[in-house]
Amino acid sequence: MFIHQSSCISPQSTFGNIDLDTLIAPENNILKVVEPKYENIPLNILRRMGKAVRIGVGAALPLIEKANKLDGIIIGSANGGMEDCVKFLNQIIEYDEGRLTPTNFVQSTPNAIAAQIGLTTANKGYNITHVHRGLAFENALLDAMMMLKENNDATYLLGGVDEVSSYNYNLERLGGWYKKEKITGVDLYNSQTNGSIAGEGSAMFVVNNESAGSFLEVKAIKMLHTNDSAEVAAQLNHFNDVNGPHNAWLSGENGDVRVQPFYQACENNLTGDMAILHFKHFTGEHPSTTALALWLANRFFETKKIPSHFFKSTPAEKPIGSILLYNSGKGEQHSFLSLRAVEH
Amino acid sequence: MSRVVVTGLGVISALGDSVFSNHDALVKGTCGISTGELVKSKYTESLRFGEVKIENEKLKSLLGISDPSATRTSLLALHALNEAIKDCGLDVALISGYDTALIGASTVGGMCQTDELYLDAKSETVGSAFMASYDCASVTLFLRERYGIKGVTNTINTACSSSANAIKYGTQLINNGYAKRAIVGGVDSLAKFTINGFNSLGILSPGFCRPFDKDRNGLNLGEGAAFLVLEREEDVKNKKPYCYVAGYCNSNDAFHPSSLSENGEGPYRAMKGALDLASLAPAEIGFIGTHGTGTENNDEVESRAMMRIFEKVPPFASAKSKIGHTLGASAAVEAVFSILALQHGEIYPSLNFSNPIESTGLRPVSVTQKLNLRHVMSNSFGFGGNCTSLIFSKA
Repeated sequence: MFIHQSSCISPQSTFGNIDLDTLIAPENNILKVVEPKYENIPLNILRRMGKAVRIGVGAALPLIEKANKLDGIIIGSANGGMEDCVKFLNQIIEYDEGRLTPTNFVQSTPNAIAAQIGLTTANKGYNITHVHRGLAFENALLDAMMMLKENNDATYLLGGVDEVSSYNYNLERLGGWYKKEKITGVDLYNSQTNGSIAGEGSAMFVVNNESAGSFLEVKAIKMLHTNDSAEVAAQLNHFNDVNGPHNAWLSGENGDVRVQPFYQACENNLTGDMAILHFKHFTGEHPSTTALALWLANRFFETKKIPSHFFKSTPAEKPIGSILLYNSGKGEQHSFLSLRAVEH
Repeated sequence: MSRVVVTGLGVISALGDSVFSNHDALVKGTCGISTGELVKSKYTESLRFGEVKIENEKLKSLLGISDPSATRTSLLALHALNEAIKDCGLDVALISGYDTALIGASTVGGMCQTDELYLDAKSETVGSAFMASYDCASVTLFLRERYGIKGVTNTINTACSSSANAIKYGTQLINNGYAKRAIVGGVDSLAKFTINGFNSLGILSPGFCRPFDKDRNGLNLGEGAAFLVLEREEDVKNKKPYCYVAGYCNSNDAFHPSSLSENGEGPYRAMKGALDLASLAPAEIGFIGTHGTGTENNDEVESRAMMRIFEKVPPFASAKSKIGHTLGASAAVEAVFSILALQHGEIYPSLNFSNPIESTGLRPVSVTQKLNLRHVMSNSFGFGGNCTSLIFSKA
């Protein structure tokens, strides 16, 4: 599967004027998205959209406008329109199940992003939303790969979206998934405590089986559920044997001491000359970070440049032509992706 | 390519807590809809629901679950999953392998604990036992852990067509070599959240829903779960499968967030695409398990879309007249019902129908009949224009 156009709304300068060298620091350990002006969404529609829908549709529209044809929309989002969900929940309780307005209810469903993209662009093709928490985007990606096997000439929009809403922020905070001490950026990785920094974002990709014009090929994906780091490392070795070798290791490490053993076990097992990269200081932590990491990898291949702050190891001198991406959702859900630069 | 066959079924709905009891009720034309008894809402007694009359504590003891974070949604799902796994006869050791996929679908997930969620979303200090159980994925993760399933695990939400897409995704995983077998299905439980959501849209019937009737006035919400075990035909030479998955198609109506377009473009494309994938002519479909919610919009649009495809619309019925609209579970529960029709060579009635919609004149099946079926279609349409049709055929 090849990536063609892509776009990303994130806490950093990734949309419009892209600048990966300058880092925007988290505020109170939250990296919130830098929202564009959404000039191509009608104002009356924009006003009714919650943030997740906004950043999803906002990132998707410029791609769809450029694409000749689109056979469907495949989205991964663990939380979907949670902002609307909690608004509707508040109405239920505060008005004691009285007369409620349906707008928030309709927008609260996790499929609202894919649905709204389909509706806005009158796309009557395939339309689906995967919500499997830390593997929501990965399942969307696998879905796209399988759909392209069955429909060789098709082109799909693939995306991953998650927001920081008051609802999920509070649940994650109570669950101990955010750090209590203040984090300013790359110091995230030196932390010896529980939790990470919160993040949000949306990354969209036009994908098909055509290599011409593409900079990145997704070679393979593997997903795993386990809380045994040795099992993850063993599975990674197998994945690397089948799909490797890779020049670089892109790690989803997030500074949480409870999850670090998984990343470390895998890193320790790596053989050969591999550059080591990480990205959570750039995106923050949320269930769909792999989508943003994929966008970054595509950008690295396209520009043949990787800003130094992404390197955990000494910056590589040779150009990086293949990346092994590993991300873990809370040490329970794991994914490996094999990504290759397309040579033209 | 080896065909993907259905080798195990499990279901729990307002009609019963097993495939056997559901089948018995379908044959008798029983209605499972009544006033609420267990769901906690202002509307419990004034509205009618397809409620599973087993309380949470009873479900827990039946299932041997003591986990305080298990929600009703997870419990109903486990009940159906256990039955499907037992029914397929596979060794539990095989189920837990890397080549078994588990695909769930839900729309309400753990938000059936609506009041707890409200408190947890605001709490400054400590959360309830349900903290990690509100999302839809929590249900699938709970099931995965019970059997230690190691293959591809996923949760899908396309509103009311969610579990049809779980069946589609599981079939594709097998066809593409990502799994040797897939356990696929869906679940939803009655919740203050969805009752108020559908009530705010003004589409809940004050009485019993009357799918395809001229005077229909809305839907009844229901709850339940169903799972299907899918395997490759070449792996199951020693047992007789129920049927095979012949076709599926997911297509968006792209018209309105919560209602279907007049001509039913999404439903039409879903049915047409499923027929094309199955390489079947419309006339070969012997029965349609319709989406048939009983709302003014759905039934007329679905009728119109069926009339566009079928020169003569085959016998059809709405299971929602008996179990209510079980949302994320509906496609899986109704797929089980369609598969039972195929297996037993019979079709089951739609209830509460008197007069056809004037513009269509279509009448659903009114009594249980014997009918030799080869191919059945099952429709599911959801908010956001998410339409999916499935076709099951005799193996």
